[in-house]
Amino acid sequence: MKKKLIIYLLVSFLLLPTTVLALVKPTKEFYVNDYADILSEETENYIVQKSSALHKQTKAQIVVVTVKNLEGRDLESYATDLFRSFGIGDKKENNGLLLLVSLEERQSRIEVGYGLEGVLPDAKTGRFQDTYMIPYFKEDNFDEGMLNGYKAFYKEVATFYGYTEDIDEPIEEDTSQIIEIVAIVMYVGIIIIVIGFIKNGRGPGGFYYGGRSYRGGSSSRGGFSSGGFSGGGGFSGGGGSSRGF
Amino acid sequence: MSKQAGIIVGILAVIIVLISLVGGSYNSLVTKKEHVDTEYSNISIMLERRADLIPNLVSTVKGYTTHETEIIDKITTARKNLLSAKDIDEMSKANDELTNSLQALMVVVENYPDLKSSENFIQLSDELAGTENRIAVARKDYNDAVKEYNTAVKKFPMNIFASMFGFEQKEYFEAKEGSAQVPNVEF
Repeated sequence: MKKKLIIYLLVSFLLLPTTVLALVKPTKEFYVNDYADILSEETENYIVQKSSALHKQTKAQIVVVTVKNLEGRDLESYATDLFRSFGIGDKKENNGLLLLVSLEERQSRIEVGYGLEGVLPDAKTGRFQDTYMIPYFKEDNFDEGMLNGYKAFYKEVATFYGYTEDIDEPIEEDTSQIIEIVAIVMYVGIIIIVIGFIKNGRGPGGFYYGGRSYRGGSSSRGGFSSGGFSGGGGFSGGGGSSRGF
Repeated sequence: MSKQAGIIVGILAVIIVLISLVGGSYNSLVTKKEHVDTEYSNISIMLERRADLIPNLVSTVKGYTTHETEIIDKITTARKNLLSAKDIDEMSKANDELTNSLQALMVVVENYPDLKSSENFIQLSDELAGTENRIAVARKDYNDAVKEYNTAVKKFPMNIFASMFGFEQKEYFEAKEGSAQVPNVEF
């Protein structure tokens, strides 16, 4: 009887952490939580610096979270629980924004606090993902995709509050497609010229077309020396949009 | 002091103790009930929002398809039922009905690549998915609030007085088992 009880207690202790701690905890930097280790240090520092300045000016908080997997949960409820447990955004204004990527499921979600639903309706967050993030994510270029998406969302939120200093423009996939087409045309042109040179008996030049550069996950967390940040107690009602890639 | 007076004092003492006991839990029960009502209105706002998106969706789908009147009829009926639902039970039933017919629509949409890739449809799908997720969140919040309230109602001393003060058990907002899974396909 006693043995049974001890076993029961042991088992329940073993089960407890998995059910309660199914969510990641905020890091000291709060605004960047790169648990999947897919962001570069520059990107992380950029986001922390931007988000903390934005928070000072507007009380709004934009938080980036990357995880290896969702621990068997669905993306939407994971994101909402994460949003609430972090307390993203101001408690009164609920002006938080969460950018979440899960690597194994290859899913991303933008979760919007109540207070920002006006400026970022679901359709817009979906369109922003399609335009600024997913094209990069599809090529496993998470660092650039997240940075680009962050810039796009930052611009919306900051502009909404009339805080228009230091806004960096995100790259729109449409224009980069045009750039690529231009690059291909130039490439073809160069080949023709080179062939022409070869035919004329001269040696070929060292032309090289690299396309979009790929920056892998050379990332390390930490090293931000300030005292750290934390959530303002903001709440989300499940607004936003989800994507697979 | 006569025996009768003693009894009266005793009864009074018991009543005072009970009142002080009841008073505290009464107040907390009022707060909990208020919480349930807030979450309830959250759900109904979200359900209404969902219903509001349907006409737009229907007209977009109609613009790209010709033979899908049956599904569209189902969606329109489900929407009507949702808007005329009077209590939480009717609401959740109508909402499930709408979910089923929308799922059937999404299967059909696969046959219309132009519709699927149209900007209007993508936007509406995002808004609908967002609203559906909000409903899921609101439902969970509501059910949590109901659970807390119902537990409080069942506890001593409220279990004795709850019905006297009009605190009745609240109904959960539940998706009925199975109803969400099996769309009724007719040939």
